[in-house]
Amino acid sequence: MQREEIIDRLRTTKQQSTQEAVDWDSVTLETDIGTLGFDSLSILDLIYDVQQEFDLEFEAEELIGVRTVGELVGFLEGQLAG
Amino acid sequence: MKALRHICEYVGLRLALLLIDNLSARSAGAMARGLGSAAFAVARKRRRIAATNILRAGIATDPGDARTLARRSFQHFAELVVESLKSDRVFTEETWQEQVELDAPPETMELLRDPAQGIIVVSGHLGNWEIAAQLISFIKPVVGITRDMNNPYVDRLMKRRKPRNRFRLTPKHDADSGRFLRALKQGEVLALLIDQHARQHAMRIPFFGTPAATHTSPAMLHLITKVPLCFGYCVRTGPMRFRFVAGPPIRRKPTGKRQEDVRALLEQLTGELEEAVRAFPEQYLWAHRRWRE
Repeated sequence: MQREEIIDRLRTTKQQSTQEAVDWDSVTLETDIGTLGFDSLSILDLIYDVQQEFDLEFEAEELIGVRTVGELVGFLEGQLAG
Repeated sequence: MKALRHICEYVGLRLALLLIDNLSARSAGAMARGLGSAAFAVARKRRRIAATNILRAGIATDPGDARTLARRSFQHFAELVVESLKSDRVFTEETWQEQVELDAPPETMELLRDPAQGIIVVSGHLGNWEIAAQLISFIKPVVGITRDMNNPYVDRLMKRRKPRNRFRLTPKHDADSGRFLRALKQGEVLALLIDQHARQHAMRIPFFGTPAATHTSPAMLHLITKVPLCFGYCVRTGPMRFRFVAGPPIRRKPTGKRQEDVRALLEQLTGELEEAVRAFPEQYLWAHRRWRE
């Protein structure tokens, strides 16, 4: 799966995860995922959505350390490749 | 003024502890019930909340019966505080099973006894939830969430008084999901109360027929980790004697519909709590505002 496709699916997932509006045009790989409306608990929603959307089984804890959109995309690339 | 009040509360607690430590379990229980009755007499607002909640839940239909049950609930809460203060001198790793009856299916006991298996134990403000966590910690380490007390002197005293080697409490303001995930991965018990009003990350789940804002985290943690959930509670059967009741493990395969998965799990857990409260209504904390707008 291409990086652009991962980002695109993440955008859809994010929109389903929270009500908070995000200006996706301003989101870069350096963007902190906290600024996308995820806090310590709503990150659980993101983990669920990512597991389901990408049909991945991974230790939820691994995603907790992810801080930026780029790290999240990199994590997913690694998972999908593995 | 606030500092003076804190010092007075601290001195009062030290005196109460001195008394509690020197009384038998039976006498301490009787003293606690007396204090509970006194609190019921003076705490008008809480008394009204308790009686209204009992009527709203349909546990009693007559206001007089609701008031009687509310008084018993106040007495129970006072007993809970005294029991929790006495517990570290009563229960030891070697002897706790003499005073506690375990009522759990074999598959739940197997999970609790497997040192590598994490488990999310969900309960409510029923029976003595503090003792429940303490007792489970004799089987495997427990992580719970607490709120720091407003009085810093009392807070420090209580933390010194109750060294919890295998029962760790995380302050509410410091509770992050990473910590819980790590605990579950290490094969520990994550103990969560499901009947607290949730300001954020909430789903409205019927509790005794009326929707109540319920935390989604127990369900979410289960869905993303696949660690089993279990509903459990610990009720008093005599002075410093308890029965710990736990249901079978709950497992749900995520369907991809997050809201539906979370709702199904929370409804099941809330239903189990309701059933337990109906069995022991006098041991439920009716004075807390469960149904807020």
